[in-house]
Amino acid sequence: MVVELSSSADRARARALVAAQGLSFEEGFDDLVGAFEGGALVATGARSGDVLEQIAIDPGHQGGSLLGELVGELTRLGLAAGHQGLFVFTRPEHAVSFEALNFRLLASQATVALLEYGGRFEAWLEACRPRLRTRGAGGGPAEAGAVVMNCNPFTLGHRWLVEQAAARVEVLYLFVVREDRSAFPFEVRRRLAEEGTRHLPNVVVLDTSHYAVSAITFPAYFLAKGAPVAAAQLELDLGLFGARIAPAFRVRRRFFGSEPSCATTRAYNDAMHRLLPRWGVEPVELARLEVGGAPISASTVRAALARHDLAALKALVPGPTLAYLLSPEGQATGARLAASQGRNG
Amino acid sequence: MRIGRKAQAGTMQSSDLMVALEPADELTVEIESTVKRQFEHLIRAVAERVLTAHGVTAGRIRITDRGALDYAIQARLETALSRAAEG
Repeated sequence: MVVELSSSADRARARALVAAQGLSFEEGFDDLVGAFEGGALVATGARSGDVLEQIAIDPGHQGGSLLGELVGELTRLGLAAGHQGLFVFTRPEHAVSFEALNFRLLASQATVALLEYGGRFEAWLEACRPRLRTRGAGGGPAEAGAVVMNCNPFTLGHRWLVEQAAARVEVLYLFVVREDRSAFPFEVRRRLAEEGTRHLPNVVVLDTSHYAVSAITFPAYFLAKGAPVAAAQLELDLGLFGARIAPAFRVRRRFFGSEPSCATTRAYNDAMHRLLPRWGVEPVELARLEVGGAPISASTVRAALARHDLAALKALVPGPTLAYLLSPEGQATGARLAASQGRNG
Repeated sequence: MRIGRKAQAGTMQSSDLMVALEPADELTVEIESTVKRQFEHLIRAVAERVLTAHGVTAGRIRITDRGALDYAIQARLETALSRAAEG
């Protein structure tokens, strides 16, 4: 029977079992559960938000019902905590065991596989479907391009890149990063992207949900500057995009801006060049729009906002973004930025 | 009745199913199953029979099944319904 592990002695047992499987035990979980046999802990697993992790089963007890018991209990706790679905990262050879528990494989590479329980990915595709463009009666789906942007906030640089990309495809899907870990909330970032691209009839603004540049698929984007980016992470994020998202939206090209300064974004761009062709998606890197000899970046905009530099803002952002930045809400964000000095473009 | 609050029943064990209920404006039944291709229509038929018997008119019913037999489906769904109805 699977029970909660709450005593420090039980936690120490869980730590030892996890370590014996070559995994690292990390604190900070929401739930830690395990199963005992003859007084010994033979299986353990944890839940952190909507991610199941540190699942370890003693080799002598693998292949039976313990995985289902553990994962069932963690899933029950996760759903009770209000999550609509749950993710698990596991070694690729174990993916099939999770598929037997009604998890669906999202992406896999040499060392890690990402699976999801609860059908959220399919539900997200379904929710996007009404906005997909076709060629009109009987014409079939349009040949599409995609850009994935955080738009924190939407700048003239974003607008220029979208215009360049939109001119080269029948329809351009602009995926705004949904993850709310940026200076501007998602709803604001999306609205300003929509208003800033309204003059482009073949641009459709969508959101990435959890499935591109998210805390799940690409956590390094949201970590401190200079944090090393694991190749496995890039391969999972782009594998999900290339193998699952691109076909669903008929995306044949992914556009992105050159990255002169941020090492994390540059590593991501390099990975797009290297990996996307595997799935028949052409990576198209575009030089960034420059103002006063420097490429426009959202971080420059945030810095200008923080120091109330109206002249600089006017040169960097389109009308709708400027109007928002000058609103009380935008000014409040500026004050927060001045106090903290955040990052991310 | 309408599903007024969240409730769950069941396990992820082989031959069992997990049922999760939550409030919603309409009645929907979502089914995931390791034997979905062969048996989704039968699982749905049992679920709908139980929901009708209990007069459920609104709520989101999520079932993840691992090859449960009819009486298990009925028992898990009824348990979840009674948990959703508890004060």
